[in-house]
Amino acid sequence: MNLDLTAEELAFREEASTWLHENLPKEARPPEGQEMRAFDLAWQRTLFDGGWAGINWPTEYGGRGLTDIQQMIWYEEFAKANPPFTLNNSCTFVGNLHGGPTIIVNGNEEQRSTYLPQILKGEAVWCQGFSEPGSGSDLASLSTKAEIDGDELVVTGQKTWTSYAHVADVQELLVRTDPTAPKHKGITWVVCDMNSPGIEIREIRTMSHVTDFCEVFYDEVRIPMSNVVGGLHNGWRTAMSTLGFERGTAFMADQVELAATVERLIDEAKIRVGPDGKRPAIQDDELARRLSLARAEVAALRAMTITGISRNARTDTPGPEGSIVRLFHGELHQRVYQLALDIIGADALRLTEVDGEGVWTGPYLQSFAYTIGGGTSDIQRNIVGERVLGLPRA
Amino acid sequence: MDLLPTEEQDEIINTVRSQLERNFDLHALAELDGANSVVDSALWKQCAELGWFGLGLPEALGGVGYTLAEEALLFAEIGTHAAPGPFLPTVLAARLAAMVGATELAAQILSGTQLVALAEPHGDTAAVAGATVSGTFRVTDFGGADLVLVLVGASAAIVAAADLVAEPLASLDRLVPTAIGTVSQIPALCYQDDASGLQLRATVLIAAELAGIATATAQQSTQYAKDREQFGTPIGSFQAVKHRCADMAVRADAANSLVRYSAIAVLDGLPDAAFHAHAARVVATNAAIENSQINVQNHGGIGFTYEHTAHRFVTRAQVRSRTVGDLRSHLGGLLEQPAAL
Repeated sequence: MNLDLTAEELAFREEASTWLHENLPKEARPPEGQEMRAFDLAWQRTLFDGGWAGINWPTEYGGRGLTDIQQMIWYEEFAKANPPFTLNNSCTFVGNLHGGPTIIVNGNEEQRSTYLPQILKGEAVWCQGFSEPGSGSDLASLSTKAEIDGDELVVTGQKTWTSYAHVADVQELLVRTDPTAPKHKGITWVVCDMNSPGIEIREIRTMSHVTDFCEVFYDEVRIPMSNVVGGLHNGWRTAMSTLGFERGTAFMADQVELAATVERLIDEAKIRVGPDGKRPAIQDDELARRLSLARAEVAALRAMTITGISRNARTDTPGPEGSIVRLFHGELHQRVYQLALDIIGADALRLTEVDGEGVWTGPYLQSFAYTIGGGTSDIQRNIVGERVLGLPRA
Repeated sequence: MDLLPTEEQDEIINTVRSQLERNFDLHALAELDGANSVVDSALWKQCAELGWFGLGLPEALGGVGYTLAEEALLFAEIGTHAAPGPFLPTVLAARLAAMVGATELAAQILSGTQLVALAEPHGDTAAVAGATVSGTFRVTDFGGADLVLVLVGASAAIVAAADLVAEPLASLDRLVPTAIGTVSQIPALCYQDDASGLQLRATVLIAAELAGIATATAQQSTQYAKDREQFGTPIGSFQAVKHRCADMAVRADAANSLVRYSAIAVLDGLPDAAFHAHAARVVATNAAIENSQINVQNHGGIGFTYEHTAHRFVTRAQVRSRTVGDLRSHLGGLLEQPAAL
């Protein structure tokens, strides 16, 4: 047990801080469409050129091969640099934190050399085709079918809740290749070119008024068999190999940013008039207690993240314990923005963007996604109950 | 940076655990329910010999020479086993005496020959003014005590138990004897006007004990959910029960992670040490109270009985969450701190 940073880690922190202050964009991120895509890819390219892409990716695949602690330091320095956008609110999210890591673990050399540099250099946007209208929490029941036709898969069906599909180049896609096998055994993980004939994309407007959520329709879409990652019919295992990752460290950036958000909220509470119309909000007993509790809980979140990193360093692969942090984080994130609306008074009635400086109501509406995406909180509780605690399945 | 115990720390935990399992069995201890003293002097000396009272005290001051980190691990185990006894005032008083140069007094406390009770303000008259102690106090573990550690605000003093008359009350936690006493201008054997360092350690150690309670109750519920069958299946297969167990595990993980972080922050003298100590106390308090309460519910009828140990954790959580401050005072203390980022 120690909180010491090595000389190397301290130097890394210094280096990150200096670089961020010199290179962080000053302008706000465009909220939609091709402008947003161009902004996100340009930032990814800037990161790559500066040597900050794939910090904890292996060096043989273009990453820096550094530790999770260094990855966390990077996120902390990013949050401290007062950025005009949040780190994971980017169409490069799926490539960096899901598609890429899956290829690293399960891909062959050709797949790695094709896709990984594109992700790191900001040359390709990835999206995720997992959920379907009939397969949400029961993901393994998915029915989008892929028939094998020579050296091609022919895909027909529908995916939904696919963020950034409308601006994506490629998709990590789960399809049913063997309808006769038990449901977990007949699935294949494949890379789908989003410009293929037969794909139709419809944007879905979310409750936070963002339109980068999409549904995707496939009508006999042809995908080369060489795009299969991790083996035919082995897609469930391929997908699960990175869900542990997603529930572990992929949300570290959000977790670090939440601490900065709570501090900003405390600053707001000092200057905004509270519920009695006279004193600052922070002098209201109930609001003060909730703010303090939020401070305590984000401190706990950070300590849990470090505990998780410590555990991963001992076992090498992220275990189901990541779901504990994910669950705590999702619900805490929501409580923080619920509290924000009680602190900003009449401004709670004004709709804002979901990201940017001094916005609160947009992120509040967006916060509902935090207990749904990447497995709902109920699913996370099942995972904690069954795989961490060893309770029997229903 | 690493928040899991080292191999050496794991060994300490295992030694502590085996002593607690052997000699602090809650069913056996039930015969002491409502007594004015719960300390068996031979057992207390055994704990002293194991080095528990001076675990985090430097060897030069008569201690074992480990740190607050190991002390926090010890107190987490004490919480996990709901072990009764004046561990906290003993550890703090030994430290206070050693720091102010009362070497002989420190040695007597460390060896377990002098028992220490804890006095905290009851109402607003309590005061430690230099070497003089006055006012009304709530005293825990007073029966059989030789000394009393008095904590008022940032001040601390040790007085002779003989100088204090305290009236026992029917204590909520049957194994934490509690009394109310008033004193007028009694002399301190030793004191510190600014004992804020001691307070900070107390905050971390109680947080550790509360985190231990959260851990134990999460484990107790999980075990019961695996063993107990209804409708032909273990009740842990039902989502309502499974999800409560999952939430308990989350609370315990939050509390334990932050307690360990805060122990090291205090130990290293980091600028945000007080921030993290208060935060740990807040998170661990909520975890202990909520987990201990839900643990009764998860056990159904058996959990409501005197025979079962579930209620031990409920009352211990309530008492400890009101020892050296309470949830409100620590929430207030936390909000006064500058940002930790």
